Amino acid sequence: MLPLISIVLATLAAGTALTFLAGARARWVALATSIAFLGEVALMFLDYTGWPGYAGTPLVPGFAEQETHAWIHLSWLQVNYTVGVDGISLVLILLTAILQIATVVYSWGESKRPAGYFGLVLLTCFGSFGVFVALDVLLFFLFWEAVLVPMFFLIGYWGGPRRRYAALKFFVYTHVASIVMLVGLLATVFYSGATSLDFAAVDASARGLPAIDQSFLFLALFFGFGVKFPIVPFHTWLPDAHVEAPTGGSVLLAGLLLKLGGYGLIRWGVEVLPTGFLHDRPVLFAVAFLSIAWGSVVSLAQRDLKRMIAFSSINHMGIVLLAIALDSSLGLLAAVLLMFAHGIVSALLFMSAGSVHHTFGTRDLASLGGITPTAPVLATIVMAGSLASLGLPALIGFPAEFAALLATWQGLQYWVLIPLGILVVTAAFYLWMMQRMLFGPARAVPPSAHDVPWFEGVGMGLLVGLTVLFGILPSLLVNVITSSPVHGFPGP
Amino acid sequence: MTDAAGLAATFAPEIVVLAAALLVFLLDVLGVRRLEAVGGVAVAGSGLAFLLVLADLGFAPLAAIRTIGAGAINVAPAAGASPLYFVSSFGLVFQALFLAAAFFVGLASLSRDPHEPGAPIFYGLLSLATLGMLLVALASDLIFLLLAIEITSLATYLLVGYTRRGLRPLEAAMKFYIIGAVSSTLSFFGASLLFGAYGTTDLFRLAAVAGSVGYPVLALLGYGFLVAGLAFKTTLVPFHAWAVDVYDGAPTDVSAFLAGGSKKVGVFAFFLVFLGPVLFVHPGGPGNPFSGAPFDLGPITQLLLGVLAVLTMTVGNVLALLQKEMKRLLAYSSISQAGYMLLGIAVGSPASLAGATFQVLTHVLSKGGAFLVVAGVAGLGVGPLVDDWRGLGSRRPLTSVAFALMLLSLAGVPLTIGFASKFVLFSAVVDARGYFVWLAVAGLLNSALSVFYYARILKVVFLQDPAPAGAVVGGSEPAELPAGGLGYGRAAAIAIATVAIVALGVYPQFALGPIQAAASHFYALGA
Repeated sequence: MLPLISIVLATLAAGTALTFLAGARARWVALATSIAFLGEVALMFLDYTGWPGYAGTPLVPGFAEQETHAWIHLSWLQVNYTVGVDGISLVLILLTAILQIATVVYSWGESKRPAGYFGLVLLTCFGSFGVFVALDVLLFFLFWEAVLVPMFFLIGYWGGPRRRYAALKFFVYTHVASIVMLVGLLATVFYSGATSLDFAAVDASARGLPAIDQSFLFLALFFGFGVKFPIVPFHTWLPDAHVEAPTGGSVLLAGLLLKLGGYGLIRWGVEVLPTGFLHDRPVLFAVAFLSIAWGSVVSLAQRDLKRMIAFSSINHMGIVLLAIALDSSLGLLAAVLLMFAHGIVSALLFMSAGSVHHTFGTRDLASLGGITPTAPVLATIVMAGSLASLGLPALIGFPAEFAALLATWQGLQYWVLIPLGILVVTAAFYLWMMQRMLFGPARAVPPSAHDVPWFEGVGMGLLVGLTVLFGILPSLLVNVITSSPVHGFPGP
Repeated sequence: MTDAAGLAATFAPEIVVLAAALLVFLLDVLGVRRLEAVGGVAVAGSGLAFLLVLADLGFAPLAAIRTIGAGAINVAPAAGASPLYFVSSFGLVFQALFLAAAFFVGLASLSRDPHEPGAPIFYGLLSLATLGMLLVALASDLIFLLLAIEITSLATYLLVGYTRRGLRPLEAAMKFYIIGAVSSTLSFFGASLLFGAYGTTDLFRLAAVAGSVGYPVLALLGYGFLVAGLAFKTTLVPFHAWAVDVYDGAPTDVSAFLAGGSKKVGVFAFFLVFLGPVLFVHPGGPGNPFSGAPFDLGPITQLLLGVLAVLTMTVGNVLALLQKEMKRLLAYSSISQAGYMLLGIAVGSPASLAGATFQVLTHVLSKGGAFLVVAGVAGLGVGPLVDDWRGLGSRRPLTSVAFALMLLSLAGVPLTIGFASKFVLFSAVVDARGYFVWLAVAGLLNSALSVFYYARILKVVFLQDPAPAGAVVGGSEPAELPAGGLGYGRAAAIAIATVAIVALGVYPQFALGPIQAAASHFYALGA
């Protein structure tokens, strides 16, 4: 069998290196790499499910596509290059491939050092892919850090007026968090007496730790992954980073980087330290409800379109955390679906916000209005994104949020009223925003205003199409996700 | 095999290096003072000796030139015999490190100004210093060990001041000589007290006698003086003050050799004295020779060494943060690196031993390499301050990237050898449990601290624009760098070091395998 994951890593690494060197033709190299990446991901799906007629059990029990090579062999510790995927990581890898190609196409007109820009975009996706496939603590950490650096430069060089501040804040917050995460993971390894950093070995020995140890270790991991979510009160890096980042950076930040936190919590937190997780659930619930409420309330008060979307991301990721904390298979499914949905939808929203900014020269909600006659395509896309975000049936947000609410009802009964109520308020706000921005009397239309250029339209159109496709056929993802051999799912 | 032939086989690398040194001096006397000739002899000598050592370590492709059979390595001398020396694979690993340092420095110095006199002296002394280092790694007797250290010391005192130009090198040489003489005296005095207490200076027999006699006051005093003397050589805080002035004042290539090479002599002596046969610190292990002694000196020594290690890295790092001159900054960071190595000695497990040795390799490649870059860049006319390096990244991209990789390696950034060695070292320290976990935490915090000053250099080199023409920033920077490069020898040395830093960072096992095996053999000798 082909070592597909290593092939993908090699493709992305080579593509990234070539893009950096390609000068003016960088976007073509980036596009070719993205297409190859998408094709390889499709192969991985085929390998995993044996499509057509996927019945819900993967072809390979446990992690598929697994490769293990000894990397650092110490007499007291074994470090391996171990990679593999299950349904959860496959879905998020699909998200990575989709967002990479959408970002590359959307940013086709980037003129400020395009080689560096596209190279860093590819590097971010390379790191994210690595995080989703790594099954060794050290390897996982290396990829985890490899995502931070390109994002730091994307914000710091291509960003808005306060980019240096935002980039530094982003780096400090997430770097401190990742150090805490690493210390938590290594402490888990050493306290449990594991002699290998392999996921399977750590998983097996950590389960034997006493509940109180697990509880503390889980809290460290929760902090490390939570800052990426981001959880209130460690969220303040996110609005700044989003507002200052270039559109492509925002897309990857919201679409991919936040998912790393969710994935890490499921794979390395809940899975490795189940007792600690159960012990700490009250903390998770509290933080989740706080994030849901805080994210949406603050989002309502924003005048900057990007800032508003950024805070609504905090709200959505709060629901993801809530769904994980429910500790049920439906909740876990909802969490992964939500991450996928939010990845696509927030990417779409940030792209449209970027296009609004390019076209009308402002993202200030108070001075925007009636943009539909000037930019009908853009208006349609903004509408599609907003409707998907508020959870309209037949769009991807609906099945995910429905599953989350249902799981919350099953687990917590009437507590479901909190996210439900907030959802209603958010929906009303989105409708008001659309009504005002898209259909109201035309305002602040500069004479140069025009509809979106073709490449931005294609990039966003791709995401709109996927929003509809997976909204109507969520089972395409559901069967893959639930076949994962994860605590909570029936497994193969 | 006759006795002489056996001796020649055992000492083959040393004989090669000695022959190179004598040949260099002979050429000098005969009037052949061309840089290529004398430099070539010395570099070839250290290169050949390096290959011989690798062959003795069991490196398969070199099996044809192997001089010491596998059966003769790692064998403790028979009881009653005091042969003064013995061959251990751990010593061979250190010999390889010493020879690598000498090779790099010799190769890089081939690019020095060919019209400048003193090339034969430099290369001759370099070879002699290397010879002393090689002998250190063979010692099984305290006096043999100290005499070998003395050979190295005498050669390096002269190396610091050999140019006889300007006051700074002379002052540095004087300082180095006085401090060195004092520290040697302390060590020898300590050894004589130990001899008085135990009646032997053989490292293997010392352990046995101490096990049965215990620790009379005389012996404790002896250990104290010995440790103080070695601490000077290893630049441990509070015996470190001389190092910065000496590294700063010496010709920079010599600084590279002092930091990357001869300082490790002290580190190895520490290994030998504390972890080798003399005072083996088995934390509660079975073979503890002190089980019958009145009291167990092991845990106290461990604690003292641990405190000394943390002190050394912290003081080195904090003072490095304050430095404005490139060489002084690197010198202080070199002091802090000695702290990491000592940490491995304090823990005293085969794992930490391997970690500390791997850290030595990191230091040879990264710090030695960094000094070689500094020497080359200074040769281009860049001033001594960190700020003088402004914008070098755009004017000398390849050199700057190599320098950056060396600094990142020292900071412990992933995919460089520095990360691998710190990972091995700290995981080994944590693996020892107890309060050692806190020592590892202190080491990690220190690594984080060190990132600040390395990052500052990178910022100056890559993110700041060159000073405008004619402006003098701090030191004396010409507006344009001369067109010339670093020279082939220096470029080759820097390139080899850089490639090794990255290659061993991605796949550390290549070096880690032999180091681990050697460390556990060494550990077993003491048990």
